Formats: sequence, C-alpha cells, structure tokens
Amino acid sequence: MIEASGLSKRYGDKTAVNNISFTVQPGKVTGFLGPNGAGKSTTMRMIVGLDRPTSGRVLVNGKPYARHKAPLREVGALLDAKAVHTKRSAYNHLRAMAATHGISAKRVNEVIELTGLGPVAKKRVGGFSLGMGQRLGIASALLGDPHTVILDEPVNGLDPEGVLWVRHLARGLAAEGRTVFLSSHLMSEMAQTADHLIVIGRGQIIADAPIAEIIAGQNKVRVLVRTDSPRELLEALTGPGVSGVEKESGLLEVTGAEPRTIAEAALDRRILVYELTPLQVSLEDAYMELTRDDVEYRSQDLPPELTAAGTASGKGK
Amino acid sequence: MSTATTSKNPASSPASSSGSGLSFLRVLKSEWIKITTVPSTVILLAITVVVMVGLAALAAWGTAQIVTEFGGGAGSPEAAQAGPPAADSLVPEIPASGLFFGQLLIASLAVVLIASEWGTGMIRSTFSAVPKRIPALLAKNLLIALISFVVGAGAAFISFLVAQPILGSADLTLSLDDDGVLASILNTGTCLALIAVFAMAIGTLLRNTAGGVVTAIGIIFVLPLVVAIVENLADWIPDAARFLPSNAGTQLVTAGPIADGALTQLQGGLVLAAWAAVLLIASLIVTKKRDV
Repeated sequence: MIEASGLSKRYGDKTAVNNISFTVQPGKVTGFLGPNGAGKSTTMRMIVGLDRPTSGRVLVNGKPYARHKAPLREVGALLDAKAVHTKRSAYNHLRAMAATHGISAKRVNEVIELTGLGPVAKKRVGGFSLGMGQRLGIASALLGDPHTVILDEPVNGLDPEGVLWVRHLARGLAAEGRTVFLSSHLMSEMAQTADHLIVIGRGQIIADAPIAEIIAGQNKVRVLVRTDSPRELLEALTGPGVSGVEKESGLLEVTGAEPRTIAEAALDRRILVYELTPLQVSLEDAYMELTRDDVEYRSQDLPPELTAAGTASGKGK
Repeated sequence: MSTATTSKNPASSPASSSGSGLSFLRVLKSEWIKITTVPSTVILLAITVVVMVGLAALAAWGTAQIVTEFGGGAGSPEAAQAGPPAADSLVPEIPASGLFFGQLLIASLAVVLIASEWGTGMIRSTFSAVPKRIPALLAKNLLIALISFVVGAGAAFISFLVAQPILGSADLTLSLDDDGVLASILNTGTCLALIAVFAMAIGTLLRNTAGGVVTAIGIIFVLPLVVAIVENLADWIPDAARFLPSNAGTQLVTAGPIADGALTQLQGGLVLAAWAAVLLIASLIVTKKRDV
C-alpha cells in the first residue's frame, strides 16, 4: 500500500510534482500513466526516499520508506535501469544488495533464475543490453520478496517475449496480494496489465480510477453510419445522450447509440443503411483526451510514440 | 488495516520468513562485497603496495650508496662537517618512504570508490537498500580506512624487510627496536587511513570521479608546493603550511627528533584527523539532504 498526500516536488522554478494525493492498493496492478516529463519518475523516487519532497509526504505500508527496519522487504523498486556499477557482475551486484538485509544466496540465485539472467549473471553489467539491464533491475526489485513492487517503465528495451513476461509477473505479484505500481507512457501496455489507473500530466493527477471506468467515462460509443438519408436518420436517433454529425456526404458519426439501436431506428423508418462501423474506444483515445492539455514536451503534432500507438490499436480495428 | 496485513504475508514468499533486516554489520558486509568485486580496486591496492615497497627499496639503496661513498655515521667527523641531516639519520624513516605515493594512490582510490557510485547510478541502489544513507557512507569510510591502514602499514613493514639487507650492505642497521621505527611503520598506515577518509569525503561532496581526484590530489600535493613557493611572502604562511593535510600527515611518520616549530607525530596525526573528520561530517550532512 502506498499513500501519497499533498506530495510536491520543485526543482528551482520548475514544479515536477504539484500537490498530488493518491493511494495504491494491494492486490491489484496500478498503472501510473503520463507523458514524458509528467512527474512519474520523480513521484516514484520520492516513494523510496531518493528524492525529498518539497512538501507533503508519502507512506509505504504505513510508514515513510526510510523508517522501515527492512526497507527492501517492504518495497522493491526498479527506478532506473542504470542503477548498477558497470564494472561489477550482475551476480555480485545482487549479492551486495542482498547482504544489506541478510538475504540469502539462495534468494539471489532465485531472482537470477526468475528473471532469466542465468547465462549473463557472472558478466559485467557494463556490457548488458538495455533489456538485460532491465531484467537485472527487476531482479533487484524482487530480491527482498517485497510487499510492494514499484516498476518505472519496466518494459523499456524489452523484446516482445520480455514484455509479456513483465505483464505476467506484474499480474502474478498482484494476485499474491502485493501492491504493484507500474509506470508507463504507453497506453497499450497499461490496457493489458493494469486494473487501476492513475493518470498524471504536468505534475498533477488527471484521473484516478479503475481502468474500465476511464475508458467508459471518457468516451461514449461512436458508430460510423453510411446511409442515403443521413438527415432523416439523425432525426430518428437524436435524443438524450445521442448526437451525430454528418462527416461527409452520406456518412454519419453517431455518438451515444449502440449499432443495434441505430439499425432498429433505420428499419422503423425504412431507411437504407449500408455501413455500420462501431469505433473501438481505445485507452489511447481516452488518454489522449485526458492529457490533451498536459503534454509537457509537445512535438509539432503529437509525441511520436503516442501517434504510433494510436495508429496501431486505435484505427487498426 | 486488513488489506495491508494480507499483503504482508503473501502465500508464496520464499524469503520473508527469516528475521532479516538492516543492520550496520550487514551494511559493512555489503560494502565489503562492493569494494572487492570491482577488479580495479584490488589492482590499485596491489599497485600501491608494490610502488611503496619499491620506493623504500630505492631509498634504502640510495642511502647505502651515500654512506658507502662518503661515510655518514652520525659519530664520524665527516658527517658532522657535512651538516644535517646525516644520511643515516634518515634510516629509521626508510620504511615510510613510499608514503607520498601511497597517499596519491589511496586518495584516488577513495574518491573513485564513492564517486563512481554516482557516476554509474549505483548510489540509487545503495540508498534504496539503506535509505538512512549515513550507515552506508560510514561503512564505506570505515572499510576504506581499515584497508588503507593495512595496506599502508603492510607496505611499510614489507619495505622494512626489503630495506634491511640493502642497508646491511653499507653496515647500516635498521631494527624494529630502534627508536620510532615501529611507530613510523604503523603510522604509515594511520596516515593513509586518514587520507582515505579525507579523500572519500571530497568524492562524496563532489559526486564526480575526475573532479574529486583532481581536488583531493590538488589539496594533498599541489597546495604544499604552491605554499612552499610563496612562503616568503608573509610570516604566517609557513606557520599555516604545517596544518596542510599532507604536511601534517608526513609528521606522523617521522622517527627522528622533531625539527623546531614542526608538529609532533601526535599533533600531526590530530591535525590530519581533524581534516578528515570535518570533511566526513560535512559529506554526511550534505548527502543526507541531497536528492540522488
């Protein structure tokens, strides 16, 4: 369980995190979503005491992180893939971390096996690929078998197999009753992993709700309708919660009515309809809508990774 | 909070049974693993010993040469004419001949050990595991001090063993029973231990390997040279120069009589210890507050 209240962090003039409060519950995967520079990493660093909050506080399992007798047993964090001395081997790194808490060599070997580091464990970390570094970071996070697991952008640099593995790992940890807090700027990833979403933009919380609610709440059903009598059909449909626009001649975009309702209305009036396409509402769409005004580093149009992700799953269906 | 309680003991927690948590001894062990598992550390320590012993052997050979060629016994009339210091008066300090280079290498090592943690990001792992931070820094300082003591005193003792036969060839004797010899050997270690803490504090404050090494070596080596050049400009300069870390450290290993106005072994040791302590405390306070 992570409880942040009135948490703020300022670096000079720049406010990275602005008075945010949230709770991350055990037993589920909570996604921490936001564009680059939104304050995700800063917030996570404050949770484990690496950054000192300018104001407010954050508790982990009821206490500030540093007050715990065995911090690594409370929280395991992957904050930055580069938190390892490059000249030391992965095995020795984990051994040194484990030694601080009297964690056995057996557990060190366990996390090495669990994260698939076996073949490279005795090699210097400096030569690791991004993906291997990420796996080592995750191994360090799991070392203390912690009640709360924090993973900052865990799928960065992982191959598809690794992405799937992280997804299963996060779900598995949550299923064991642990608190899992996962950050990402990739919606598609969150849609498949998280139960609950905390969306952050420009240091402020924009949304904090179950993932289904965010999708449902932000967007109503939209259906593309191709018909010879768009005006007539619109008249038949328009009512409370239903609206529509004629996008081009003979093409309607109807919001708030299920395809079946539209078809029934058309049948009643004997209007010919020759296309009914439900528009899939993706988490990307919901997210884009939520953070529209909160993107810190806006590129000319949209951040490329967002556009790419949006194209892939938003228009793909 | 029932939810929190359930999460405390997940059914499949293989490692959470033992009463494991942080303790200073465990942090020491962790720091020991960290120091010994970076190959360059071990190599640098070996080089330190070799260089220190080599310099002492050279000093012994040089002294033996001078005494053989010109004579140098304190009692001999030639020596009295040549004026101080007579060559053989330096004999008791020969085991400590490598001290300057030892300081250079140990100071560099101490800076590297801590600053590289910032350079590589390792410090975030370190302070995640030991969020109170100070125990981790103290453990690292304690270990580097102990290692430097052992390396310094060990190198001086090996130097002593190596120097004995070389000096013997000129009929000079060097024995642990001689006045100040044993103390000088041990204090070579003490001096390096204090220099190590001094340098590690600089590395901690600057968080940068190159900057830390340059600063530490600047203070230890370059500053005394600069002071020596300008010491005639004002009366207080030579007075103050005695309190520079390296000058104070050098007094630690003196075996003969103390020159007029110079610090005694104990005073030199205390001055250097004060330098180390002040910087160490500053580095602890700053690190405790800093974001990493």
